[in-house]
Parts: sequence; C-alpha cells; structure tokens
Amino acid sequence: MTAKRLRIIALLAISTVFLLAWAFPIVWSVMNSLKTDSDVLAYPPKLVFTPTWEAYRDVLFGSGSILPNLLSSVIISVGTTVVTMLMAVPAAYALARLRFRGKKFAGFYVLATQMLPPVGIIIPYFLVLRNIGWIDTYQGIILIYLSFSLPFAIWLLVSYFEDIPFEMEEAAYLDGASRLKTLWRIIIPQVRGGIAVTVVFVFLNAWNEFLFAVVLSGNTVRPVTVAMFNFVSVEQTLWAKLAAVSVLAMLPVVVLGVVAQKHIVKGLTVGAVKGGGRR
Amino acid sequence: MSSFTPTRRTLLKTGTAAAAFATLGPAFLRQAAAQDADLAPYKSAQIDWQQVSGETITVAVIPASYFENLITLAPQFKALTGIDVRFEKIPPAQIRQKSVIDLTSKTGTYATHAADPMYYALYAANKWVEPLDTYLADKSLTDPAWFKLDDIIPAWRSANGIDGKLYGMPYDGEVTIQVYRKDLYDAKGLKPADTLEAYMSNAAALNTPNDRVWGAALRGVAGAGQNMYIYPSIFREFGGDWMKGGKLTVNGPEAEAALAWYVDIMKKYAPTAAANWNWPDIADAFSQGTVASYIDAHSSASVINNPEKSKVIGKVAYARWPKGPSGKRTTSIWNWGFPINSALPEKKRKATWLFIQWAASAETQARTAHKFAGPTKRSGVNRTSVWKDPDYIKLMNGFGENFVEVTMGALQEDTDVDWRPRVPQWPAIGDTMATAIQSALSGQATIKAALDDAQRRIEPMMRG
Repeated sequence: MTAKRLRIIALLAISTVFLLAWAFPIVWSVMNSLKTDSDVLAYPPKLVFTPTWEAYRDVLFGSGSILPNLLSSVIISVGTTVVTMLMAVPAAYALARLRFRGKKFAGFYVLATQMLPPVGIIIPYFLVLRNIGWIDTYQGIILIYLSFSLPFAIWLLVSYFEDIPFEMEEAAYLDGASRLKTLWRIIIPQVRGGIAVTVVFVFLNAWNEFLFAVVLSGNTVRPVTVAMFNFVSVEQTLWAKLAAVSVLAMLPVVVLGVVAQKHIVKGLTVGAVKGGGRR
Repeated sequence: MSSFTPTRRTLLKTGTAAAAFATLGPAFLRQAAAQDADLAPYKSAQIDWQQVSGETITVAVIPASYFENLITLAPQFKALTGIDVRFEKIPPAQIRQKSVIDLTSKTGTYATHAADPMYYALYAANKWVEPLDTYLADKSLTDPAWFKLDDIIPAWRSANGIDGKLYGMPYDGEVTIQVYRKDLYDAKGLKPADTLEAYMSNAAALNTPNDRVWGAALRGVAGAGQNMYIYPSIFREFGGDWMKGGKLTVNGPEAEAALAWYVDIMKKYAPTAAANWNWPDIADAFSQGTVASYIDAHSSASVINNPEKSKVIGKVAYARWPKGPSGKRTTSIWNWGFPINSALPEKKRKATWLFIQWAASAETQARTAHKFAGPTKRSGVNRTSVWKDPDYIKLMNGFGENFVEVTMGALQEDTDVDWRPRVPQWPAIGDTMATAIQSALSGQATIKAALDDAQRRIEPMMRG
C-alpha cells in the first residue's frame, strides 16, 4: 500500500515537473502580455503587478494593428483545411480500398513529398508563383500549403480507412448502394474521429506556418506569424506587444484543441490499438 | 474548389473592410500632413518632379522608427510627384533574403529596398542594381546644386560604392561607439577607455555581479550582422587585414589576438546570457542598470533614454571606440541605403530615383528628424548639414554627454571602408565567421582552431 502510494506520489511529482516546464513559456507570455514595458524588464521578475490591457489595445487597434493579419491567417488556414479535406478524403479512400496500377508507387510518392526539407523548395515555389502572378495572394499561399498538407492528410487518413472492415462496405453494396454513396453514408461516418484529427492538424500546420509565408506573402496577404515578427525590430524588441500577439495567435488554436480534444485522443488511439496498418 | 471560392470572396471583402477600418485613423492624419506640407523647398530644385506622375512603386523597408517617419511623409511625396509608393515592412533577417530572391529572379517586385551595404558587391557583380551615377548626372532627373551629394556622409557613400561607383543612396546610418554609465565611472574615478586594454580594466573594476552590475557587454549572438558586426572593428584595431596579399584571410596572429580579447571580455565581465544577445538585448540590460558599458550603435541611445523603460536616464555618456594595439579606432560603417532595381522598366526606374532623391534630400532628412511631429526622432540622418543644425544638435544632446561630438568624431575619423571584407561572397563569409566567433566564445573550439577552420571553409568560397 505504501509502496503504491509512494509510486503515485513520485509519478505526480515527475508529471508536475514536466507540466511546469511545458506550461512555463505560455504562462510567461500571458504574464508579459499584461505588463508594461518597464515591468517586463524588471528584475527580479514581477509576479505581482498591475495588469494592463495596453499591449492588447495597441496590437489590436494601434497603428500597426494585427487584425488584418489575423484575418489573413484565418482565410489561409480555413482555405487550406477545406480544400485539403475535399481532396484528401477521396484520395485516402482510393489508396486504402481500390486496386489500381501504381498504387504502391502513389502511396510512396505521397510520403516522399514529405521528406524534402521545406527550405530547399522555397525558391522554386517562389518562381512558380511569380510566373503565374500569384505571389502575395491567398490562392498562391493556399496552393503551396496544399503541397504539404495534402500528403500529410492523405497519409493520416489512409490508416483510418483501412481499419474499417470491408464487410461493412459489402453489406452496403448488397443493399444496392453505389460506391460513392457507400463512401458518404457508411465509411465517412465511421472515420469521423480520424477526419477531426486530420482537420485539426492541417489547420494547425497552416496556422503556425512561417517559413513559406514570409517569402510568399507581401502587403496584401500577411499571416499573423509573419506580422508578429515585426515587433522584433532592429531598434528594440517590443516584448509586451510581442507577447500579446503571441497570446492572440495562440487562442484559436487552443480553442480548436479543446473542442477537438476528445476526437484527437480517440482518433489517435483507435488507429494504434487495432494495429491496422499504415502501409 | 468551386464550393470554396464564394467563402473566400466573402472573407476577402470582410478582410478589406477590416483593413480599411484599421488604417483609417493614420490615413486621415497622413492626408492632413500632406495638405499642410510646404512643398516649396522641393520645388526649388530645377527638375520636373511630375515627369512620371501616375507610376506606382513598391519599397521594402524594415520595421524601424526612421522608416516609419518616412512612411508618414509619403503623402507629401505623392503630392510632389504624383507617384504612389507602397511600403512593405519586412524584418531585417528576411529583407535580405526576399530582396535577393527578387533580384535573382528579375521580377522587379521591389523598386528599391533598404539595403545592407555589405551586399552591394554581390548586387554590382550581377548587375542587379543600377549605378546611381547615371541618375545623378542626368540634369532632367537631378539638380546637383539642390541635392548636394557631397553633403551626404562620405563614409556611407563609400560603403555603398563599388569601384568608385555609387550603388545605394544612404538614407539612415549608424556608427559604433562606447556607451557608459557616467555615475559608475565617476564613483570609481574611471575615465572612458582610450585603449582596448583600458576598456578591459574598466570592465574589471566595475564588474560586480553580486550587485547585478556587469562590467561590459558586446553582441554575442552569431550572425553576419550580430557578432560579426562588432568583431571586425576589434580585428582591424589589432592590425588585421582581410585581404592579406590579395587573398581573403581570417586567421593569423592579429585575428587570434582580436578574438582572444573579445572572448576574454565576454567571458570575464559580461553577463553569461550576453553570448546570445543582440544589441536590443544589450540596450535593454543597460537601460535596467545591469551593464556598466557597452560598445554598439550610437542609435541605441534612444532605447536607453526611453522614459517608459529606462532607469539610467541622465547617467549616460559616450566616447569613441578605444584604440587597439595598431593605434587605430575603427567604428562600424552601417547605413540603410536605397539602390535601384535594374529589372524595372525605364519609367519606374525614374520614379524610383525621384523617390530616392526625395528621401535622401536634406529637407526630407530634417522633416523625418528634428522637424518630425511624432514622438520618435531619427539619430542617423545622412547629411553633415543636418548634423550641424543647432536644432538637431540640441535634440541629440538630450541623449547624454558628448553624444553629437562622439558620433561625429567617429563618423569623420574612425570609419574604415575595409572594416569588413567587401566581396560578393560576403553573405556566406559573414555567416562562417559568425559561427567561428561563437564557437570560440562558447568554448567549443580554441581560438586558433575556430579561425583556422573558418579560413578552410572560406577558401573554396573565394575560388567558386
């Protein structure tokens, strides 16, 4: 009994240490975002201080407002997610179920696109977009984001589709359903969890992306990850404002995470336990 | 795709509305500024400012108050010339990358951009930017008597020139100087250092980490524009020559002595974290009273004198670089200049030149500095005449004892065109050196090994 108790205490202690280490940067950002610039720099760091909304007011409604950037981020992330899902679901289904020539190769190809270090392909992408006049446009950035979100989504979804027993589908065919109808009515409801997980990850990746965005965006389309960087200027780092923007940029992701948490956990474990294979 | 488009359009509309709303306030102010502005000082130039009216150009700048002030005045430029200027603010680390991509692909996205003087060798070698002499000599485009090129700080012009040709017009710049806490120095009876040796002993005398005061701080973070911005001055002061016998050389006894001095002062008398500091971090620490002295850009004076943050206002004084064993003082040569993108059609190149001429003119320099209505005034104006203007001097001396004298002294006597190796391969060389300096500082390599290794890496770059 005591041994068990000790073990629980030890586990709790270890978890607390890890939790503190992980939560610290977030707590720190939230605190800094509510401080004045002089409080940010104070030593020893002030744990008790008079919070101020000044930094938030400035970044939202000041001259360098990030509202348009937040909107850019929303358009890019939602756009990327919607297009990705519309294409990834049928593609993943095809890879999981259909027999066609070159299927193995197609499966590998999808994965292979993920192996290139992104920094190596920025310039070619820039040139492509430049030539079709899509630099600094939503369609341009979304197109480029699709190049990594789509393979990722397909790859993730295939394993979920493969876990569905073929008998379920067969039963639907026996009842006279077409393949598309079966996909829509029988299969997709079964992989809801998987789709939710994929949506969350695709959205997260697009929302947090910086490397491509900084090169391919401009004045018209500038997501918040890029805009945030302007608070680190050559003259000074505006810590409080930077923290405020970070917190604002974190919010949608946190909300999405909380909402989808149930699905994420379920979705991730379902695939794992059944061991159905990701090829 | 079709189910997606309407959503995007709707969102776009909302986006435009939101953006318009967000910029409404400043836009009104700018409009007002344009109407009130007196354009007469510009119109006295014997050129037709309106000759390419209706053109639109895009200008990339970094987010910094000296460019913000210029952006605020852009409506005046529009009123004067009929040219629309779109400004794009890009952080300093990315502006080099983005402008090089634009120049290599010859897309002409940025008519001009805030350019790093170390990049002109690369730009000129590839003919990516125009030699400005042509524009300066063209009487229909430039009135030499009005523009007064010679008034622009000579060191910055030579930094932006290759083989005697000017490629970028200096807009705003800086020099590195000693910044020190006069109260702490006085308490110990110390004087600002005249030699690097004295700088070290001052730092030793003031270093009391238990009271949270460290002796000195220099840029520690690795980067061509970070630690490799400070180290070259030390290297030159120790008698180093980048082009020894016509061959780019970064190792050898002078280099070893210079790097040893840097590592020594950083390890003994700087806060440990300074190994990862860039200058805003140094200025932040100094403003909180934890650093007794630093050597860095004179423009940092505005941060350490910011009443919202600083605890050391009134206690700051300045001095020029301490001399090295070679007997020289060597400051940095830095300015953000404006080149003209060669990929532009002729009319846009003219429009770009008019913009550059306007931005670099004495009138605009004054209007963005002491005559600027907003809170931040520039400390890096490009003209000797402005530096001699009593109003400007009065404003600048608010930053502390000797500020103008030291800055001007450094600008006129301590600059050195060969401060850093001006070769097209600079971007790669700068990064290699930055890594070498940091590995010596962190103790990953001995000083000699770090420099020898850098030399080995740099040699093939120079052959290629």
